[in-house]
Amino acid sequence: MSKVNLDIPEVEIREIRLGSITGFQGTAKELVSACSACSGKLKDKNRSFSQCLGCGTSNAACTLTLIQDAAIISHGPVGCSTCLHEFAFTYRVNAYLRQLDHPTQRKIYSTNLEEKDTIYGGAKKLESAIREVYKRAKPSAIFVITTCAAGIIGDDVESVTNAAESELGIPVVAVFCEGFRSKMWTSGFDAGYHGIARKIIKPARQKRNIINVINFWGSDIFREWFGEFGYEPNYITPFSTVDSLSYSSEAALTVQACSTLGSYLGAALEQSFGVPEIRNSPPYGIAQTDRWFRELGQVIGKEKEVEDFLARKKEEYLPKIEALREKLRGKTAYVTAGASHGHSLLALLKELGMEPQGAAIFHHDPQYDNEDERSDTLKHTVEDYGDVPNYNVCNKQEFELVNVLNRIKPDILLARHGGMTLWGAKLGIPSLLIGDEHFGMGYEGLVAYGERILETIENDEFVKNLAKHSTNPYTKWWLEQEPYTFLGGNF
Amino acid sequence: MGKQLRQIAIYGKGGIGKSTTTQNLTAGLVERGNHVMVVGCDPKADSTRLLLGGLHQKTVLDTLRDQGDDIELESILKEGFMGTKCVESGGPEPGVGCAGRGIITSIGLLERLGAYTEELDYVFYDVLGDVVCGGFAMPIREGKAKEIYIVASGEMMALYAANNISKGIARYARQGGVRLGGIICNSRNVDREAELVRAFAEELGTQMIHFVPRDNDVQRAEIRKKTVIQHFPESKQADEYRELARKIEENDKFVIPKPMTQERLEEILVEYGLMDDLKDDYRI
Repeated sequence: MSKVNLDIPEVEIREIRLGSITGFQGTAKELVSACSACSGKLKDKNRSFSQCLGCGTSNAACTLTLIQDAAIISHGPVGCSTCLHEFAFTYRVNAYLRQLDHPTQRKIYSTNLEEKDTIYGGAKKLESAIREVYKRAKPSAIFVITTCAAGIIGDDVESVTNAAESELGIPVVAVFCEGFRSKMWTSGFDAGYHGIARKIIKPARQKRNIINVINFWGSDIFREWFGEFGYEPNYITPFSTVDSLSYSSEAALTVQACSTLGSYLGAALEQSFGVPEIRNSPPYGIAQTDRWFRELGQVIGKEKEVEDFLARKKEEYLPKIEALREKLRGKTAYVTAGASHGHSLLALLKELGMEPQGAAIFHHDPQYDNEDERSDTLKHTVEDYGDVPNYNVCNKQEFELVNVLNRIKPDILLARHGGMTLWGAKLGIPSLLIGDEHFGMGYEGLVAYGERILETIENDEFVKNLAKHSTNPYTKWWLEQEPYTFLGGNF
Repeated sequence: MGKQLRQIAIYGKGGIGKSTTTQNLTAGLVERGNHVMVVGCDPKADSTRLLLGGLHQKTVLDTLRDQGDDIELESILKEGFMGTKCVESGGPEPGVGCAGRGIITSIGLLERLGAYTEELDYVFYDVLGDVVCGGFAMPIREGKAKEIYIVASGEMMALYAANNISKGIARYARQGGVRLGGIICNSRNVDREAELVRAFAEELGTQMIHFVPRDNDVQRAEIRKKTVIQHFPESKQADEYRELARKIEENDKFVIPKPMTQERLEEILVEYGLMDDLKDDYRI
């Protein structure tokens, strides 16, 4: 039974909905079989030492801040919104990928709850904040993201936003993402999408030739791909507009750049608005690219066109891929990334003939909201290409990453998030950060990514020098310990 | 020799008569020459009405909200009957915000403003209802009130609440110096009430420090916004409160309570006839 329920204001958290975990050590195959063999038995054991943790409020903001004409209000102490400005940066620097020549300033506000507000309640402050933001920013929708302080004192945010919506005539959406609700910061994505599905998306007027793409801020490759079949991408949510989101119900289908990200919204669009969702996880590596495009072809009834398309792509790129394989064969790598995207990168490395020696993946979802095994990216990776050793669900613990990297010393470190590659570089390991999550997709992606990997491995002078002159902040003692010393087991 | 300030928290089921008892007891103590401050820890802000001859107009939290942090002690601390110092913490309207957080803020502010002067002999914290959250336990945390009295009657729910409160006291007693000084029985004219409350107190490991009989003089004085001692100084009930004040002044029996299980509590109630026939005689 799917857990998508748009009738209630709060989305059910991921550890309950999907059984997600933030700690595991073993091999990729072990994790896949642990998930399917004993569903629900994977236990999220606490690390007895944690270096840093994420908060869902930031991930909720991630899904909402980048909507072109929306404003967000963090209802809580101002400290809860101190990291949100980074989405303004993200918006500005990636806008060119979506032909947005003049990216506007992001509209991010905080009600700045103070001690006396926690005593008397913050509802009045929120009411006036919504009016003020409406006046100043003239947004097409306002999202109110909640914080722990507002949650503990029980502010009735839903009533305030409903009243404001009637008063102002624009959607005013309560998004419940208090950090303490969930250990899975990715529950914040679900909270943002839940708000969008409840209050922004409208019933379809008519079907149109658009395909929803739930993604971050990657390059616009889907425009060319879908164009081949007479469709256009409708990107959700970065660089979308409130209007384009409203009518995402009119799309022919929904695809995702990362099943971890769009799990909830993809399922909600299908179950509540009748937009079918592609089950196969995203097109990284040849096997998955073929599967993904074929499923796409089935849904839009263009199987033959898809076969022609794949044949052309193979003809154009297979020789280049083979040439890259020659150069990369046997090279070792280590991956650190969010869950599904990390699995995709492992597939991509294996496709290029490389040998990933391990991965530090932020969390793990044993299933997704569509409850279909075809969405399990790690399962595909293991079945298509074989096992990956040293597979760690790491909850962003850098101290574990440093320990492992120091042991494995791979030829390259691949990362998807800022701040991770420096650890490889300090150890003299060529490190590559690619934030554009679409960069490695499809046949062309294999070539593009492969070339960047080759270039990074060949140009190692900088990191070698850096390693010579940098001090490792971790002690010798720690580097000699087992990397998962502080992780309390898997079951 | 500096005298020892006794900080006392009064707990008990809602409506049991904590505020009435605390204020009459305070009147008894000031008559004996003590300097007393009463801190009302209830958003309704009615814990000092009898001592002040009317509701306190400026609660700590309202003042904090209206004037910001720059508060004069004089604006929130009023003098009542025979120089009693009266403070009301105040709090949010029912159903919004967090009254518990309010008490934490309010007591912190009183300390900062220097309300705890050296001349004081007693500070009473009159706390709303049950200890529902951390905020309402504030008066017994962090070395504030060291003595607690629970106001109860012979009614089942009053004893049930008293047992629950004892669990909270036992928790903080393990960490700090807080101790239970006894149960004050505020009679509701239940059969064999004194015996029942005495037995209950002994089971907890404490004492029934005084049995305050039911007397309409209390209500008559309350209507006139006065304590019994002030309004009917010659009455029998005034003497009862004087007796309570004496016993508390002389009390040296302070214990860590041993809260009982629900089963044991019900056994005691049955033993004293209260639950002989639950269907016919269920009173709260």
